Amino acid sequence: MPHASGYFRTTYGQDTRLVDTRTQRVAAGAFICALIALPWLANPFVLDLANQTLLAVVGAVALMLLTGFAGQISLGHAGLMAAGAFCTGILSKELGASIWLTLPASAATGALLGVIFGLPSLRLRGLYLAVSTLALHFIVIYLGHEYETRRGFSTGIVIDPPRVFGWELVDGRAWYVVFLIAAGGTVLIALNWLRSRTGRAWRALHGREAVAEALGIHVPLYKLLAFVASSTLTAMLGCLFAYYRGFVSGEAFSLFLSIQYVAMVIIGGMGSIAGAVMGAVFVTLFPYGIEWLVGLVSEALPEMRGLQNAVFAINYAAFGLVMILFLVFEPQGLAGIWRRVQAYFLMWPFKQKPLSGGGK
Amino acid sequence: MQLVVNIAVLASIYALISCGYVLIYRVSRVLSLAHGELMMLGAYGLVTTASLFAAQPGVAVAAAGLLAAATGALVYWVLMRRMTGEAVLAAVLATIALGILLRGAMVLIWSAQVQHPARMLGFDNPVVALPGGARLSTISLLLVGMNALVYLALWWFLTRTRYGIAMRAAGQNPRLAAQRGINLHAVYALAWGIAVFTGGLTGILIACDAGLDATMATIGLKAFPAALVGGLDSLVGALCGAVIVATAEVLLIHYVDPLLSDVVPFLVLTAMLIVRPWGLFGSREELDRV
Amino acid sequence: MNVAVPLLQVDAIEVAYHRVMTAVQGVSLQVGAGQLVALMGTNGAGKTTVLRAISGFLGLDDARVTAGSIRFMGESIENLAPHRVTALGIALVPERDKVFDNLTVAENLEAAATPRRADRAALLEMVHAQFPRLAQLAKREAGYLSGGERQMLAIGSALMCAPKLLLVDELSQGLAPLIVQELIHKLLALRDQLGLTILLVEQNARVALDAADHGYVIENGRIVLDGDAAKLGEHQDIREFYLGQGGAERKNYRDVKQYKRSRRWYG
Repeated sequence: MPHASGYFRTTYGQDTRLVDTRTQRVAAGAFICALIALPWLANPFVLDLANQTLLAVVGAVALMLLTGFAGQISLGHAGLMAAGAFCTGILSKELGASIWLTLPASAATGALLGVIFGLPSLRLRGLYLAVSTLALHFIVIYLGHEYETRRGFSTGIVIDPPRVFGWELVDGRAWYVVFLIAAGGTVLIALNWLRSRTGRAWRALHGREAVAEALGIHVPLYKLLAFVASSTLTAMLGCLFAYYRGFVSGEAFSLFLSIQYVAMVIIGGMGSIAGAVMGAVFVTLFPYGIEWLVGLVSEALPEMRGLQNAVFAINYAAFGLVMILFLVFEPQGLAGIWRRVQAYFLMWPFKQKPLSGGGK
Repeated sequence: MQLVVNIAVLASIYALISCGYVLIYRVSRVLSLAHGELMMLGAYGLVTTASLFAAQPGVAVAAAGLLAAATGALVYWVLMRRMTGEAVLAAVLATIALGILLRGAMVLIWSAQVQHPARMLGFDNPVVALPGGARLSTISLLLVGMNALVYLALWWFLTRTRYGIAMRAAGQNPRLAAQRGINLHAVYALAWGIAVFTGGLTGILIACDAGLDATMATIGLKAFPAALVGGLDSLVGALCGAVIVATAEVLLIHYVDPLLSDVVPFLVLTAMLIVRPWGLFGSREELDRV
Repeated sequence: MNVAVPLLQVDAIEVAYHRVMTAVQGVSLQVGAGQLVALMGTNGAGKTTVLRAISGFLGLDDARVTAGSIRFMGESIENLAPHRVTALGIALVPERDKVFDNLTVAENLEAAATPRRADRAALLEMVHAQFPRLAQLAKREAGYLSGGERQMLAIGSALMCAPKLLLVDELSQGLAPLIVQELIHKLLALRDQLGLTILLVEQNARVALDAADHGYVIENGRIVLDGDAAKLGEHQDIREFYLGQGGAERKNYRDVKQYKRSRRWYG
């Protein structure tokens, strides 16, 4: 085949490869180096931001597996995180359990909830499913609250920093390493799932359930698997989040958090792991960006000083607006923009990909 | 006796809110998760009109109601119209985003402080004693009456008037409706207008009764299980669902644990989804439709 | 019949779904006032697409007329919203989902939007006079009607839109031959009494050709034959492939290919 402008995959092996071209390999390498170098260059504030972002990446990727690939909407992501966090809090408070116990326990809780969560999905679709996950969110939060009030931790459960191989994880840098491993691991696991039989089954049942079933895919099994995979990862995220924050409280897991994760998936772009990562970065940094902007405005215009007190509200409004803009104008999300920019340079001087031949 | 009255009031609130969910869903197959916020917006509309027409409370309330209806139509025209033809999911997410946007905007405009539009208008809200020893506020009584009125009006509109029939037709088969000359965008906008109007009315009454702050949106969210328990495509269902959810909530709060308040509707909903996912009066095909 | 100024003129239209899939190409046809024109073709030939192009696409169809023009009484109507087309005087009787199942017969008739210039009460009276059965069934839910009654209701509620041009998609589908005969006669009567113009889309060429003045044959998204209905009925290929008459002996595949080569291409 003559080499045309652009990069074409010509074998199945190439299609399942993680890193396609040399340029990509170099870029990925540079990106990883930058990530490793970051804690030595950044101040504590930036480091905290980076940590939050990495945590969000784990959650966004987990939700992307479920929503973006398997096509099952969930509004209960915050509830699942809360389940992991409360599990961690209760175990370490009641039994003094170490992270080596709480992390697997959170994972197990998540998996169990995933099954419970997923069972309705075998009968329900679309909206009804979203609603049942919403119900689960409220139930988990209620149970957590109930525990808090019964045991008298009305302000939240305080957790001691965990010890890992004799190290006490208190320092932001130490956490950064943990989170980097967690986020990197999640991304790798997700990518590997997606290029395996499981991932293909998920995509198939996203496309059309009846057809997937006709192709011999065990639809209920793979649906449940998607829920379990996603909720296990999310509950483990909840566990790490609890340790990082040092305390657990129901208020931290509002419905807004669930919506933020859904927003990450939308803004990042449905059906793309890179999109989930971009969405996580965007949504996590967004409030800080707004705060910075408000700061700028109120410095430039002293009469607008009142804005500073309303940062929280502005944040909400701007976040909703951005979400709407993405839904209306860029349903493919950041990943879609990225693909278009890429295609623009690859196809230059032509404007569009050829309709046939190039492959879609 | 007091319990029965409490149930009736709460059921009226849920029923009034959930008829908005049902109406929008029936006509356009979209679930408006911004309904709580829109209802709150209606109540804040009264705060504004109350400061404009402080002397004429009737005018203020009427203006607030009209404002709510216009807001609903506007929401459809500006936002939801663009989501037609997209996946249902995208439309629902758009309403969620709208809810968040409104929440922020409302705090920006009216601040987060508790407002009392009733006081601004000089309404007093005396307690009414009912036979049997039960007591409730006048506005709660008004809520129950309003609920009956709204449902009767909706029933009349949907079965007896041309536009109502056209609306049902559009909900059932939009393509055929358009081919029969029905302007779908107008019908959808009308449905949104009515839904937000009834929601706004509820918001106004609750705000007059108990004051108004950002927690009102939660009531909207709690009414949503009522709509689902009854079956999303049935108004009768919404009414029954509201009664069931309200009964469960009042009784459980009274006899078990006040903390349960926020979670009861969702517990009822979960039970319903396990037993009969399409709701009491909903049609089974609805499940496959979305 | 005088066809000097056609009521409906479709000129070399091309319809694309999802911006990339072309469903019909270069389709042209004319319907003169007072005519009954038949558009025939097999499954998937593009008949319904042509009808929808005339009656208007919905946003959710994600389809557009990408080339050519459709003119109705001199007015350009391609890519107009369906309700606007209906208001101009074109009503469609669709192939499937032709009535609102959960509405009663009376409500089905009531739901149709009548243009301002027309008198609703008079229209309803006319529909009841044409289809007395519908008056008897007024309170019945449309979902419980028989196939023939559904078709009557569909035609009746299309008439409530006070059309000048009636588009009928697959009149005969799923109906007993006797009822089809009856409905065809009804359509002819409507044409003669109300001055209605009718474009009939049919798979069943015999039904269509018996009633029509003029016929078009569409295959693979193109018009391949057209002509006077009576002459079309005599056409060797039509007789053989659409009416199932002609040579008693079995043809071999080469002859079929020969037939394919012999068709004319328009546009």
